[in-house]
This record gives sequence, C-alpha cells and structure tokens, in this order.
Amino acid sequence: MFGFSARSITNVLFWVTRKKWLILSFLLSISFFYVPSPEGLLPEGHRALIIVGVALILIISESIPLPAVAILILIMEVILGVDTADGVASSFMSDAVFFIMGSLMLAVALVNQGLDKRLALSVINVTGNKTWRIVLGFVTISAFLSSFIGEHTVAAMMLPVALALIRNAGLSTNKATRLSTLLLFSIAYGCAIGSIGTPSGGGRNVIMIGYLAEFGMGTISYLDWMKFAYPMLIIEIPIVTLILWYTFTPEQKIMDSSVRKLKVKVAKSGKLTANQILAIVIFIFVFLGWIFISPIIGLGIVALSGVFLYLSFGLIEWQEINRNTNWGVILLFGSAISLGIQMKETGSALWVAEQTLYYLDIIFKDIAIVRWFVSVVVTGLLTNLLSNAATVAVLGPIILDMGGEPIIMCMMTSIASAFAYLTVVASPTCMIIHSTGLITSRDYFKAGWKLFIISVFLLLIISTFYWPMLL
Amino acid sequence: MKILIAISSKEYSEPTLDVGMNIARVLKASTTIVDVGQKISEFSMKDVSLVNELMETWDIDRPGVDVLEWAYNYLLENQFIEEKSMKDGFPKNLLIESDSGRSEVLLKGLTLENLSLILRNGDIIKELRDEVDAYEYDLTIIGGSGKRSMSHDMIQYINSSIFIVNNFNKDIDYRILLAVDDSPGTSKAVKYGVRVAQAFNIKVEIITISKDENFSEGYKRASSNAAKMMRRCGLEAEVNFEIGQPVETIIERAGNNHIVIMGASTQSPLTKFFIGSKPLEVMQNSDCPILIVK
Repeated sequence: MFGFSARSITNVLFWVTRKKWLILSFLLSISFFYVPSPEGLLPEGHRALIIVGVALILIISESIPLPAVAILILIMEVILGVDTADGVASSFMSDAVFFIMGSLMLAVALVNQGLDKRLALSVINVTGNKTWRIVLGFVTISAFLSSFIGEHTVAAMMLPVALALIRNAGLSTNKATRLSTLLLFSIAYGCAIGSIGTPSGGGRNVIMIGYLAEFGMGTISYLDWMKFAYPMLIIEIPIVTLILWYTFTPEQKIMDSSVRKLKVKVAKSGKLTANQILAIVIFIFVFLGWIFISPIIGLGIVALSGVFLYLSFGLIEWQEINRNTNWGVILLFGSAISLGIQMKETGSALWVAEQTLYYLDIIFKDIAIVRWFVSVVVTGLLTNLLSNAATVAVLGPIILDMGGEPIIMCMMTSIASAFAYLTVVASPTCMIIHSTGLITSRDYFKAGWKLFIISVFLLLIISTFYWPMLL
Repeated sequence: MKILIAISSKEYSEPTLDVGMNIARVLKASTTIVDVGQKISEFSMKDVSLVNELMETWDIDRPGVDVLEWAYNYLLENQFIEEKSMKDGFPKNLLIESDSGRSEVLLKGLTLENLSLILRNGDIIKELRDEVDAYEYDLTIIGGSGKRSMSHDMIQYINSSIFIVNNFNKDIDYRILLAVDDSPGTSKAVKYGVRVAQAFNIKVEIITISKDENFSEGYKRASSNAAKMMRRCGLEAEVNFEIGQPVETIIERAGNNHIVIMGASTQSPLTKFFIGSKPLEVMQNSDCPILIVK
C-alpha cells in the first residue's frame, strides 16, 4: 500500500496504538492553541495551561519515557513563548530539585549499608511475636523513619523483613495470603502517613516550601513543620493499624517460629560494623542540618552534603549511586516545578484558581469549604493518579493563589498529597509492594478508601482546630 | 527453527508449557521460555530494582524467579535437561541480565540443543514483540486471553506464527482441524499441521471451505496437496469440503476437541486493524487451541 511494505505499516500501527496518548495530547494542544484565550487569561498563561494538560496526560499514561516528558515541557515552555530559554533554565533548577536529587542518592547510600537486618532486629525485639503487634510495629517504624528520609528508602529496607517473616511462617513469598497483604500494606501505608511528618519526608513537602518562598508568601522551618504535621502522623498510626487489621485479619495471630527464625538469620550478620555506624552518624548530621541550618543553606544543599560525605568516606561508590538513582524522575520534577513557577508568573495559576473558586462556590456556597475541597480532596484524588510530587508541583501554585492563610494551604496540600492509598501508581511505595506480585490493584481499594476518607476528615479537624493555634 | 513459549504461572501456564515443549521436541527447535512480569511504573523502576537486589541478600527470590523455577522443574521431570544439575536445583545465580530488563538462564538441553529461560518486565505484547524481533523466533506459543484487544495485538504485532493454547485439556482426544485454501500461507500451515500432529500423535482433518458449491481449482489442489503431505509423513488425514461462511464453519467444526491450524490473513495491516480478520474472529469465538501460521 502506497509503496510501503506490510511490515512497515504494522510497525506504524504498533507505534500508534502504543503512543495514542502522545498523539491525543499533541492534537489537543494544537486545538487549544487556536482557541482564543478566555477573558482574564494572558496568551502566555493560556499556553502554559496547554503545557500542563500535555504534561498531565503524558505523566499519567507513561506513553513516552518520563525524561522525554521533562524535556518536552522545557521545549514547549520556550517554543510557546511562555518564557525565554534562560528563564526556563533558571526555574528548572531549584533547592527543591536539589533536595529530590539528594534524597534519591541518600536512599541508595543508606540501602547499601545493609542496615535492613539491624532494622529488622530492632523492630522484632520491640514487637515480640504477636501478629497485631508486628503490624503496629511495622506501621510505626515505617511512619517514623519515612518522616525523615524518603519513603522509598524505608519501604526498600522494610520489604525484605516482611517477606522474610512471611517465608518463615511457612508461606510462599509468591502467593498472596491475608498475612502477606497485611504486612506489606503496613509498610506502604506506614510510609505514606509518615511522609507528612517533616519537610524531608518527601520531595513534595520541599516543593511546597519552595513555592511559598518563591512567591513571597512566607517561610516555614523544619521544626515548625513538625509541630503542624506530627500530631496527625501519630494519630494515624493506630488508625492505619486498626483498618488494616480488620480488613485483612490473618489466620496467624502469633508468629512465634517466624520471629525466632528471623532473629537467628539476623544474628548471623554480626554486630554493627564501623561503616554502618559511620553511615548512621552521617545521617544524624544530615538530620540536624535539616533542623538547624536548612533555613540558611536550604534543605537540598543539606541532603547533597550528606551524599558528599557518604561518597568521600567511601561508604558508597559513585557507580552504585549512578546506577540506582532515577535521573529521569529528577529531570521530570525539575520541569514540573519550572512549569509551576511559569503558571504563577503568567497568571494562569491565578486564573484557574479564580475560575475554580467561582464555580465551586456555586455548589458549596462557602469559600473556605471550596479551598479545603481543592487543597485536600482534589490533591488527594490526583495524587492517586500520578506521582505525588508532580501533583503538588502542578496544583501548588493554583492552590496558593486561591487565597486563605498560605501556610495552612501549603500544609493541607502537602499532607493531602500523601493520601496515596488507592492505586498502584500513587507512590513508589505502593509500586514497590505491588512489584512483589502479592498485592493486586483491588487490594489497594479495599483498605485504601477507608483510610482516605478518615485522613481527609482528620486533616479537616486538625487544620480547623489545631493549626490556627500555631499561627 | 526457534520457538518462544510465554508462561505466567504454574496455575495457568501448565498446558502452554506442555504443548509448547511437545512441539519443540518434535521440531528439535531452539526453545526459549519467557515469563513477562508486570509493568513497573517508571517513577519506581529504580526503587524496585534496588529492592530486588536487597531481597537477594535475604535469599528471597524476586518475582518471576518462582515461575522460571517451576518451568525448570518441569523440564527436568520431562527429561528436557540433564538430571545431574538437579542436586543444585534451579541455577538462579546464572540468571544474568543479558539485555536491558531481560534476564536469561542458558540450560544444557538433552533433546534440544538450545534451551533457555528468560524474565522480562512490562507490557506483554511489547515485550514479546521485542523478543521475537530481536531473536527472530519462528513460533510463539502463549495461553489464551479473554481480552479482545489482546488477541488482536498478539496476531497483528508479533512477527512470528502464533499458537494460542486456549482451553487445552489433556483429557480430550484432540484432532487437528487444518484449514486450507489457495492462499500463499497454506503450504506453511500444512507443514506446521504435520509437526503438531506428530507431536501429539493425532489425526488430521483437512477442511476446505467455499461460500458456494464451486470449489476453485486452487482450493482443490491445496486440499489434495495437504492430504498427500500427511500420507507421506505417515499421518492419518480426513479430507472435507464444506460450503458456508469460513469463520462460522471452522468454529462449528472445531468445537472444543480440535486444534485449529490456519494461515494468517493476507489482508493489509490496515484492514486487519480496522475490520479484523478471519483468524482473529476464529480465535475470539472458538473454545479450542489455535495456531495461526505466518
């Protein structure tokens, strides 16, 4: 046909079926480009929104590699005249991107120290052999650790512990049981509720802090953040444990032999090595740096200082960091933050905020409820469809332009972006437990919807009654 | 001859592996058994691979290794590989990443010269297509899928003959239903018919279908050539001429106790994409295994 071989046509058809979302986003962007800008929206703002639409479609569908989406955002920003090449370049790199980069590298460095077995021992020593106590221990330790370091780091270290317990209980690590579902979710949900605890708990927290500072709306210190968020984290620990326990009650109420075997296995790894002690000391320094000097030098620089120390002391090889760091994600978050800043500067964030307030106000009749609905419910739902950092990068500027107390809006958005309970793609932690083959997409919904609703209302209560006392 | 057998789990893939290895034995084909694991979001790909590395330090297998281990034990029990390697069990340590996202174990085959087990992760159609294109397989053997789009994609995009082991049951006495006509793919379909009949030691029904009573010379020749080929190979064959719609007739005749073998559609890829094809319709509407020869 037209001189093309059947094989070439098949190849084209295959490409088209696999790239349908790319083609759709391309067609939509051209169509919207020729639609006149609505009243109150500058042409640059109009074009920035077209880029947001394209980026969202491509991030959710993953029809092209994520670094390609990142590059496309930058190219479109310049070609569509949203900003100059230099302007785009300067908005691309920020302390938030430094933080995400540093946090991903710290994760690789920490995971490589073999601290997972120590962690296993300390958890088991505290919890004992009752299954409900192990679940509570998993949720607590995952929440506590992931409030300081990236949740994917914690999930990576905790997952083998859970699988070892499952195997020691005489169950297959390849066949789902209520026990395996329970233990794996206690890690994933523990990490999710923990990631709200401090700014370093997740890249999205740092992105929101960055937006607050960039838009001149205020600052929030590491310890102040903890005062806002930690009470909610602590309240959620028993809630998560109870919801998981009653949703996936296991047959094995006691895991005596399983715990004993785990202790024997861990005991074989000997005492803490000098390198492991040094790795912990460096991390404590990083943590102290986040608390005390991050207001001066930035959270990202503190994280990168930690990476520098791990590399300098020879605790990790650069090749190892290079191999295991997701550079594509760093590029994507850089681009998404750049896009967020352009949305603010071109006025498109304000326009969307005004339109949202206007239309939702007709439904809710109260502007405070509209703000709560968008910053909490919309963020919470969107975070389950795409990465939580990308959600915050795009929604953050809009929410901050909706009025209200900026710090409260910032905290509500960041915390709601951690309600990633409902889908596999909601967060790296959800994907990590799914990758074991023991968790199905349906399982996320079984427990997730209860936790989502409780979290939304808990945040409403805390933000209404507790946070105003802190301002 | 190179064969690719796609499996997914012990529960669902036993018939596929059974059928696939029987055919491989008769064809003396280089055989690769692949398990395509679930797609991992790009956001988490590195995290998941880090977790998999960490799991190895705990002697916990990453997902998919259990499926390969089951396939390994199957090969051992059925004497496709040497027994002396049994004491060490499945050689997980030899599961080496040979390509990006593709890990492979090469096994020393007894009846087959080349035998390997591989793990891939991602969209199953894309992974199988990449595997077939890169390593030039002649035949891909896979279990049935209820999804219409999946069936279409398998036939349309995988560049090898496809054997879909749909509802295969060891207790049924299968016959081969070999559909022949005057299309260029028929002679290849007949050759496959011979091999599959030999693999299972079963009878062959050669069927030629015309919409009216006038069977063309080409149809008659194709049928008699097929019958001749079967006789020459010592196979029992029954020749049938049927009047009716090809798809409906094949589905009706096949029931659930035939293995349908037919040539791939010669229509243009665009027509197949928008309108479909006879093999696709047969595959989607019949309850039996079907081999589409390209």
